[in-house]
Amino acid sequence: MGFWLELAASGLITGGIYAVVALGLNLQYGLMRIMNISHGEFLMLGAYLTWLAHTTLQVNPLLFMPAVALAMFVLGIVVYRLCFQRIARTAPSVEVIEARSLLVGFGLMFLVQNLVYLQWGADLRGYSFLTETVEISGARFPANRLAVFGFAVAASLALLAFLRWTLFGKAVRAMMQSPTGAQLVGIDTAVLHPVVFGAGLALAGVAGGLLSMVYEISPSMGEPYTISALIVITLGGLGSAIGSLVGAFILGLVEAFGMHFTSPSLKMLLSYGVLVAVLLARPRGLFAR
Amino acid sequence: MKTRDALAATLGCGLALALLPWLLSDFVLALVLSCLMYAALAVSWSMFCGPTNYLSLATSAFFGIGAYVTAWGLESMPYLAAVFAGGLTAALFAALVGAAVLHLRGAYFAVITFGLGELVLHAITHFEKTYAHTVGRVISDPPGGEAIYLTVLVVTLAAVATAILVRASRLGLALAGIGADEERAQTLGVDTRRAKIAAFTLSAFFAGALGAAMAVRWTYIEPLSVFSPFIGFQTVLIAMVGGAHTLIGPIVSSIFFSLLTEFLRLRFPYVFLLVLGALLIALVLYLPGGLASLFTRWRRIRV
Repeated sequence: MGFWLELAASGLITGGIYAVVALGLNLQYGLMRIMNISHGEFLMLGAYLTWLAHTTLQVNPLLFMPAVALAMFVLGIVVYRLCFQRIARTAPSVEVIEARSLLVGFGLMFLVQNLVYLQWGADLRGYSFLTETVEISGARFPANRLAVFGFAVAASLALLAFLRWTLFGKAVRAMMQSPTGAQLVGIDTAVLHPVVFGAGLALAGVAGGLLSMVYEISPSMGEPYTISALIVITLGGLGSAIGSLVGAFILGLVEAFGMHFTSPSLKMLLSYGVLVAVLLARPRGLFAR
Repeated sequence: MKTRDALAATLGCGLALALLPWLLSDFVLALVLSCLMYAALAVSWSMFCGPTNYLSLATSAFFGIGAYVTAWGLESMPYLAAVFAGGLTAALFAALVGAAVLHLRGAYFAVITFGLGELVLHAITHFEKTYAHTVGRVISDPPGGEAIYLTVLVVTLAAVATAILVRASRLGLALAGIGADEERAQTLGVDTRRAKIAAFTLSAFFAGALGAAMAVRWTYIEPLSVFSPFIGFQTVLIAMVGGAHTLIGPIVSSIFFSLLTEFLRLRFPYVFLLVLGALLIALVLYLPGGLASLFTRWRRIRV
């Protein structure tokens, strides 16, 4: 019993991280059809910021999360202004925006990853934080994972509530449904675009900070999370925030149980198997009506 | 340029290039070889992706499949047969996958083709670990440098010639129609599904054949190096920078990029990729039509 609980919990914990990453990516894509393939690099940047703050200034990483979110938010606005604004303005069609932003995303991926390589090298970095174990009904968990899980779920739910119940959230949802329609009813897209892009990066940075509490970090850690996030938003449907949350937990559980029953080296194969199956059977996501 | 003139020019260049192994030093020849490889990859990539505006990142998957055909087959078949078999295997794989995923567009298509490379990489790694108990494979008896060079040259020329022929054929027109407006092309009676699968398969054949031909240069083959996503990105980058809808653009930019890679990558790997990233962003933002669009713009001003 304890064993199965631990397995399910590890799937849910991974799912919690996926949820934060995927929500950020989905915000960016749903808003402007910007497929930000460098999302994982900003996650990695968030992880390095947290690691740096903890090892040099001895800041509690959990308390440092708002600072990471703020820093990445500002960075996001800068990146949007420098790169994506021009694409969104000059591209003749949505398809072209999609293709060009994908290429710019690859450029950013090279840029950010190699900057970090230059600065901190290729070594694995890490620190220990809350490593004592907690026992819940026969299953044992390291406390840091529980904290990460709690924080990730809280952040995701807070975002969902924000989108659901505030006027700003309503504007964001309106833009996800129809960018032109939203503009017609007077939503100020010139403000909303950079802010939402920044919010997406803030979520990626927080996810990275959370990961740094549990795993060792390296400059190449981001890419697998980009791919997982893409799978999750494909599962949940582009532009659906709740879909991302559910999809993230599904993928986390599939990976945890799949790896247990087959082998850990097949993790990528499992994720892609899920992606290909979903794209073939329900190309618009599991929850599309 | 007329199709016949273009083919004649290709043949002429080919004959001139065929003499190089006896004129140049080994180092310069290796440079030319890498130019040829990227030119062929970029031309075969643009064959499908240029006119249709599909963004395929599957090149590294096809290249790696070709390389593994050589790694597995070179002991039991001659080099040239392995190259051909590598191309065929990659083409077969592309036809199967294409039938399944070519109804997707935009980012979905890009993501799933990127995933293909990773998928095949992990599948082969797992297969080799469990059944062959190895991580990589050593190619024990590689053919000589001239043989490799001439083989790659022939594959490159074939890719360029095929690209010229495709552009002039019904298939080429169908692909351009798909790129302009897929639904309209369908309404006008183009079997878009068949055209897309055919072009995707054709472009995969050359990527696979190149992988098979180049594999012997490495002597040690492991999944991580032959399925390196870098090969796929570099190909896309070269084709887009040159202008994927033209033929000459990708060829010119492949020369530029191979030289840049050769001189910078080994000495300053991180700075090189950093510059590459910045360059890619700048080009997409300020020159979305590629280098070829500079040329057409210049010609328009003169006329």
